[in-house]
This record gives sequence, structure tokens and C-alpha cells, in this order.
Amino acid sequence: MPLAEQLLDASLWASVTRALIPVLLAAIGGMICERAGVFQISLEGMMLVGAFGAVAMAHVSGSATIGSAAAVMAAVLLSLILAFGAVSRDGNPIVLGIAINILALGITSFLLPQLFGVRGTFQPEGGVRIPRLLLPGLSELPFLGPVLFSLSFLGYVALVLVPLTWFVLFRTPVGLRLRGVGERPMAAETLGVSTNTYKYLAVIASGALTGLAGAQLALGNVGVFAENMSSGRGWIAVVAVLLGRAHPVGVLGACLLFGFAEAFGFRLQGQGLAVQITDAVPFVVTLIALVLARKRFTRLLDLSETKI
Amino acid sequence: MLKAAQRGVTTAITHPVTLALVASFGLGGVIIAATGGAPLAAFSEMLAGGFTGRGLHNTLGRSIPIIGMALAVSLAFRAGFLNLGGEGQLLMGALAGTMVAITVPGPGVVVVPVALAAGAAVGAGWALLAALGQTHLQVPLLITSLLLNYVGRSITSYLVRFPFGAPGEPFATTVPVPEAGRIPRVTLIPGGRVSISLVFVLALAAVLAVLYRRSVGGYETEMVGLSGPFARYGGVNVRRHTLLVMAGAGAIGGMVGTHLVIGETFRYIDADMSAQSGIAWTGLMVSLLALNRPMLIIAAGLLFAGLQIGGFAMERATGVSWQLAQVIQALVIVALVSRFAVTWKRRRAEAQATAPDAPEGEDAHVGKV
Repeated sequence: MPLAEQLLDASLWASVTRALIPVLLAAIGGMICERAGVFQISLEGMMLVGAFGAVAMAHVSGSATIGSAAAVMAAVLLSLILAFGAVSRDGNPIVLGIAINILALGITSFLLPQLFGVRGTFQPEGGVRIPRLLLPGLSELPFLGPVLFSLSFLGYVALVLVPLTWFVLFRTPVGLRLRGVGERPMAAETLGVSTNTYKYLAVIASGALTGLAGAQLALGNVGVFAENMSSGRGWIAVVAVLLGRAHPVGVLGACLLFGFAEAFGFRLQGQGLAVQITDAVPFVVTLIALVLARKRFTRLLDLSETKI
Repeated sequence: MLKAAQRGVTTAITHPVTLALVASFGLGGVIIAATGGAPLAAFSEMLAGGFTGRGLHNTLGRSIPIIGMALAVSLAFRAGFLNLGGEGQLLMGALAGTMVAITVPGPGVVVVPVALAAGAAVGAGWALLAALGQTHLQVPLLITSLLLNYVGRSITSYLVRFPFGAPGEPFATTVPVPEAGRIPRVTLIPGGRVSISLVFVLALAAVLAVLYRRSVGGYETEMVGLSGPFARYGGVNVRRHTLLVMAGAGAIGGMVGTHLVIGETFRYIDADMSAQSGIAWTGLMVSLLALNRPMLIIAAGLLFAGLQIGGFAMERATGVSWQLAQVIQALVIVALVSRFAVTWKRRRAEAQATAPDAPEGEDAHVGKV
């Protein structure tokens, strides 16, 4: 197929949305934290724990819904470590985030053999998956049907969250206070807004959303839990928040770029390029995007400014 | 005299690091019990397996890469950079060092240093990519060094599978490193042999300790870490420091990686090396635990190495899987950074309310991490 034809191929774009959804869910969580002034880099770990919780409970209960609920609970539980450590105890969020990521990898790799007696990968009994919901009528549309209207329930949730978080952040008092807490904590505190409450809620929200990201990844996209299966997606979500300047539309745009990179890499693989090379495509694209969009993150350049 | 000793013991017991360790083991015990194991039996197997007999030798061997990676992290950390790219620097350096050890002919005294130098050069180059991004393109090193891990993993994976791969093997690996290219093992303590790299890594720690405390460069580096603008104002070339420090960290990472192959497994096996590269993260935790101080890094490195080796023994004896060691290690860092130990102490001090010299200083000590 010539390149132009390939780029308009519905099946390519369907795999773009598939790759996009987990990253987008996590990135929206990261964005809420960023707006509340909490530097959230434990998305990777929370996604992994979410994926594990989803598969574990789907296996026990036979239900993808209960699995997804468990994913939310597991990731929220993990997120409380960051909330407690970084908000209540004023610990360094970067170091905490890294420790949480390592903890998540350790605990899931520990529990996999301990609870299910296997290593590597685990498939829930009966191959429970999150089903796709074909929206009546809309899913019949050419191109848009397969790309946008035959997602899983969580896929629609992710897409709806983009305008929804925009509305909440910029058009409601709650959003105003949340942004105030992030941008002018002293002023917010003076006006009677409890900064800690908002920060806790933001971190918990990121836990819930990233847990759903894990559920979608494990029970939606793949159908199994695999050790370290988040494999960098949480970090890509962190970059998406930076690139998108913590704005819902910007974050969606950045996620779209990564989704496209992953789907395109996958397609190149089908055309004979080594999987070891195509695996690197999303990360290379991310790095290039960071270079192109530089000067946005001067805040992060000097770690001495953030107290370590 | 006795009182001073008593106070010393009390300080040691109530030190945040001690408390974090105790709390983490406690929580680890709860996790074991909750998943149907016997915590005390598991922990005694872990400690015995990691710190006695043959296990102690394995711990010494395991501590080499852990201490090395921790030193690499400390170097960058003191300059104020969190180098999350240890994994990629280790892998890229390892493959380069291995290929040199395989292809360069000559006696061991020539081949081994040349291989280590090649590993160091490539590791440093990989780290410099992230450093240059920060100094010349304003892209934060924290993120780029991390993303480069995934790229480095892909590149090494590809190279080992295709151009550098041994033909006819069922998995991706290089051919074995010839005898001359291997790092020798020596008997340091009776009862077993350990790679001579241990001596080098300890020497490196000593050199860094002196550098950090006594040299102009060490002082300037610390100044850059404490406050970039201040250092710049004081005439320090921050850009040059960033590049130098990151190149140093990458070089150490590359040498550690090379050691893992030409000192331990003697062939670069792709799956094996990606599993081993987690050592970069263990090193990061060790450096944090040791407050980036080289001599403390040796102690903390031995401890974490022992937990890992002991974890394997625990799994063999009690069936509790060894990853618990990783869980405990991460919990130690979480506990330290969250400073819950300090709260606990403060509460106790408040309850007593009689001690006029409540040690506020500890807070600052952990806060500097």
C-alpha cells in the first residue's frame, strides 16, 4: 500500500485508539495532579498494579466489571502512599514516585507466583475480557465506526473525560479551587480552601483513573497479566502531561501522538521490521517531541529548585 | 561512659533508617502472612541465606554491581540530577564491553581493561545524550534519561539477536567471552572466590569519597546540586559540570554492565541482561538510603545485595517468592522519604515532654535525601 493510503486506513486508526486509551486514562489522572501541584510520576506503577488487580479479581469473580473495580481499588491504595508521603509528610514526590514504581513491580511480581503459582504471564479463568460496546448505528459508519464507536466501556470513559475534565477544571468552582491550590497555594489557603484535601483528592483521582488504565490494558487490550506489562506507558503518560501543558486538549493531542507511534510501529512490524526496533518507536517519538516542544519544562531542569 | 554508650545505642535504635528497616520488614511480614506463608521462618531463611556461609560470597558478588550503580547515581545526585537512565547506560556499555572482550586478541591484562574502557565509553556516551539534552536543548534530564532506557534496551536486544548474535542458539546471545577476556576471581575471604571487581568497586567508592569531600571539583559539584543559580553566580560552569558528572555516571554504569558479562555470565544473554538491569534501580535505592555518601553506600549495598541473595534462599526453603526482597527495599525508601519515623519519634518526645533536647536535627538529615 502506498503511504497516503495507509495513513487513511481505518484498521490503523482503530489500533491507534486501542493504544491510546490506557495512556490517555493515566495521563488525565496525571494532569489532575499536575493542576493541583502534585508532581505525579508513579503512573507507571499504578497502571501495573491496576492491571494485576483487574486480572486477579476477574479470575476470582469471572467478571470484568469486578476486575476493573479491583483495579481502581488497588491503584488508589498505592496512590495513597504518594498522597501521604508527598502531601502530608512533605517528602520528595520524585523519589517517592520512583520508589512506588519499584514497589509496584516488586509486589506484582511477588504476588503472581504467590497467589497463582505462575511466573511471567497469567490469564484469568475463562479468558475474561472487557467487551467492546458497538454503539448502535454509529459503529456502522465508515472509518469513524471502527475507530471511535466500537471501543470498550472504558474507552468511551477516557474520551468523554477529555471535555469533562476541561469543563470541571475551567468552568466550575471545584476546578478553580483545584487550580488555585496548584498555582497559588497560599492564596487558596487564605481563601479557606484546604490545599491538602484538594491534593489528596487529585492524587486519589489519578489512582482511580490509572487503575482503569491498567484494567483496560490487561483485560481490554491484551487479555492477560504479564510481569511489568505497563512497560513504559505510565512514563509516556507523564510526558504527555508535560507536553500537553496539563490541558485536556493538549494531553489528548500528545497521547494521540504516542498512540499513533505505537500503532505505526506495530504495523511496521507486520512489514518485517524487527520487533526490537519497533518497540522503541513510541519512545523515540516521545524524545523527539520533547526536543521539539522544549522550553516548556524549565521547572524540571533544575532539580535543586525542587527540594530533594 | 556507660551513659554515652547507652545514648549511642538509643540513637542507633531510633535512627530513621533503623526504624524504616524495621517497619518495612514488619510490613513484609504482614504480606507474607496474608499470602499464606510463615514470616519468621521466611525472614530467618532470608537473613541466613544472605549473610552466612556460601550465601555471603554470593552477596559479595551481587554487591559489586549494586554498589557500582549506587555510586553512579550518587555522582549525579550530588550535582542535583536524578539520573534514571542507569539501566540503559548499563546495557549499552555491557554490550560494547562484551563485544570488545570477544573480538580483541591479546592477554587478559590488556583485553579486560580495554573492554571495561569500551563499556565505560559507550555508557558515558549514552548518558551524555540525556545530559546534552538538558544543557543544550532544555529538555529535562530526569525524563530523557529514563526514556532512553527503553531505547537502549531495544537497541541492545536487536544487536544481540541479529548482528552480534551467536548463530544456531535458540535464544539471543553472543558467543562466550574467551578465557583471556574474563575478569578473574580471587579468594578474598576463605571458603569461596569472588570477582576481583569487588576490589575495584570498593576503591572507586574510596576515590569518590575523597573527591566529594576534598577536591575543588567535588565542592563545585555539590554547589551545583544545592543551587544551580548560586553556583553559576560563583563562577562555576554548570553546563560543563552537568556533562562531566553525567559522563562519569554513565561510565560507571557501562563498566558495571561489562562486569556483569565478562566477570559473571561470560556471554551477553539478552533475556538475562534485561532481567539484571533492575540492578540500576536497586542502586538508586541504595544511594538514597546512604544519603549519597560512598562509604555508607558500601554498607547499604551489602545490605540490599544480601536481601536479594537471601530472597533466593528464602524461596528455595519456604516457597515465599524472592521478589519480597524488592518489596521490602522499596518500602524502606518509601518509609524514609515519608519520614513517618520522624513523626513517631516526635510523638514519643511529645508524650515524654521531659526531654528538653528533642532531636530536631534528624528531620533535616532525612530531608536532604
